[in-house]
Amino acid sequence: MFRCVLTAAGLVLFASSAFVHAQKQTIGAPPEASNMKLVGTNDLQARSAYQPTIHHQGDRWIAYIGHHGGTDDVPAPVNPMTGKEEPNGTSIVDVTDPARPKYLRHLPGQEGKYESGGAQMVRVCDGKSLPKGDPNAVYLLRTFGSEAHEIWNVADPANPVLITRIAGLKDTHKSWWECDTGIAFLVSGAPDWRTRRMTQIYDFSDPAHPQKIRDFGLPGQEPGSTGAVPTELHGPISTGPNGNRVFFGYGTNKGGILQIVDRDKLLNGPKEPTPDNLRYPEISRMPMSAFNGAHTTFPMLDMPVAEFAEDKDGKTRDIVMIVDEAILNECGEARQMVWFADVTTETRPMMISSYTVPEASGQFCQRGGRFGSHSSNESMAPVYYKKMAFIAFFNAGVRALDIRDPYHPKEVGYFIPAITTATDKRCIPIEGGARCKVAIQTNNVETDDRGYIYIVDRANTGLHILELTGPARAAAGLPRN
Amino acid sequence: MRRGATIAVAVIALGVSGVGAYQLATSPVEEVARWREIAWPFPRDGWPAGRAFRCEGACAGAELYVRAKRGFCNCDSGVADDDEVDRVADVDLISPRFAAVALGEEVGIGEMRGRARRYDLDMPDGVHRVAIGVAVSRRCDLFVAAAQGRGEASGVQRAALVFLETPEMKTWLTAALDGK
Repeated sequence: MFRCVLTAAGLVLFASSAFVHAQKQTIGAPPEASNMKLVGTNDLQARSAYQPTIHHQGDRWIAYIGHHGGTDDVPAPVNPMTGKEEPNGTSIVDVTDPARPKYLRHLPGQEGKYESGGAQMVRVCDGKSLPKGDPNAVYLLRTFGSEAHEIWNVADPANPVLITRIAGLKDTHKSWWECDTGIAFLVSGAPDWRTRRMTQIYDFSDPAHPQKIRDFGLPGQEPGSTGAVPTELHGPISTGPNGNRVFFGYGTNKGGILQIVDRDKLLNGPKEPTPDNLRYPEISRMPMSAFNGAHTTFPMLDMPVAEFAEDKDGKTRDIVMIVDEAILNECGEARQMVWFADVTTETRPMMISSYTVPEASGQFCQRGGRFGSHSSNESMAPVYYKKMAFIAFFNAGVRALDIRDPYHPKEVGYFIPAITTATDKRCIPIEGGARCKVAIQTNNVETDDRGYIYIVDRANTGLHILELTGPARAAAGLPRN
Repeated sequence: MRRGATIAVAVIALGVSGVGAYQLATSPVEEVARWREIAWPFPRDGWPAGRAFRCEGACAGAELYVRAKRGFCNCDSGVADDDEVDRVADVDLISPRFAAVALGEEVGIGEMRGRARRYDLDMPDGVHRVAIGVAVSRRCDLFVAAAQGRGEASGVQRAALVFLETPEMKTWLTAALDGK
């Protein structure tokens, strides 16, 4: 009898330790993956990474990767190429051969830690596509911490040259730049506005001579207003002059708003920031639950929906994928996830479906760091557009979603990188101090026209270049690899 | 004798905390401000409900609403300007129609630092009130307080800040910021 009890106790202990093990990432353990495969990596000098943009530049593919500020432990990591401590800025990596990424240059950003420094955002346009750009130039638009936007000529990506600087701001974030018109929707904190983040619209068709068009935001955010201040902007995405819409996402992890705006009225309407003038270009606004914000509002217009193919009306739908941002470690907030809104009837947008990683599939609330969504790929290249979406999900890695039926999005693959010695800890307050854990924090994701998927880590683990395999690859219509 | 001692202890305990009232004597000759806890009066929003108190005595009729807001982006700079107070301090829960009457001022609660600002409020029923908003930060988290009353905003602010400095409230707000 006693032996039976001992055996049972041993089994319970073993099961418990296995459970705990499943929650914790360890250095040297393999990545966790399904239908996604690692192609190559780069450590990005152990800098906390935010937005990657992959640009086809001549016969090369270059990844430009924005960084958050430094950490308490390492405010300015050493750049091994210069031997100097440099505040986090922009990493420039040649990914022509994705199996062997080659780090070309680190362009320092603003001094500061975490959200307070760095150069988080990056967009790239060819000079030859801009109406008045230098055809030999390649222009990189980036933030400089919270204080400025900058445009650099990166025609030689190893030797960028500063072209333009718009400074004097109290914050910045994820801007949008139309490469065919040069119109830029800059997420800025104009000093006299009541919000940290609103929109400053510039004509960057000639990046050397930027022309301010107007300031824009939600009524109540403008200078001189009183009363409640609406949720701050996170980022816009424009469909350009042909689509004539700009989709603005407001909020981070709370009080999200999707705002649909007539681009032509926005650019050419009355510009003085009065409440009426701010309302003038708005087509509609969809408030989300107070539990969720809108980090990314990714439009996918005119999508055929197979289920509706025989219907007399509504065979195709205009869809906006809305991605919230989780900000608290270890599930300290309501779940941040992915939402799909049908905006076909623009004045009556409606949420139609959602997606989250099942927490129990990896005990993600116990792994450490953030669990929840943050961002999606924003490339509209045909290889994945309206077929497959990739979602950065912090400690649950990147998730590949089959979105061909946006009413029923389906996960078809995932990849959670292994942690390394560079992976930074994430802590929560406990009585008398803090308890910290180390886990991957997949922050952002982008794709290139070839179909490679680039994920970057907020906790300093670097860049991982992936490709789809198996059924996920077939769902995307890619040839077998 | 033993029963008497028990009753005395019970009476003292009730007097101190059993009815959720807190006494704040600013001086022996001034009227006492007592804050009695009431139910959180606002609908659920993005943050968990906090605690609400109604003042009796020196600031009679004033109400104070306090809560932790975990997850704040300005981890290093903290509550740096008055606009931040306008945005986060929950004054909009009382009424979305408020206007600042002056520049804010730096304040502290325990070791946390931030700002406070005074407002005029137009209530939905047309009544005019004064209000204050307070926001202080601890790393990437906020503690906010909003109060409304009929008297001078400066008096409401003073009474609220004194109350928030009591050991009971500091213990609670630390726990709230720890997510407990």
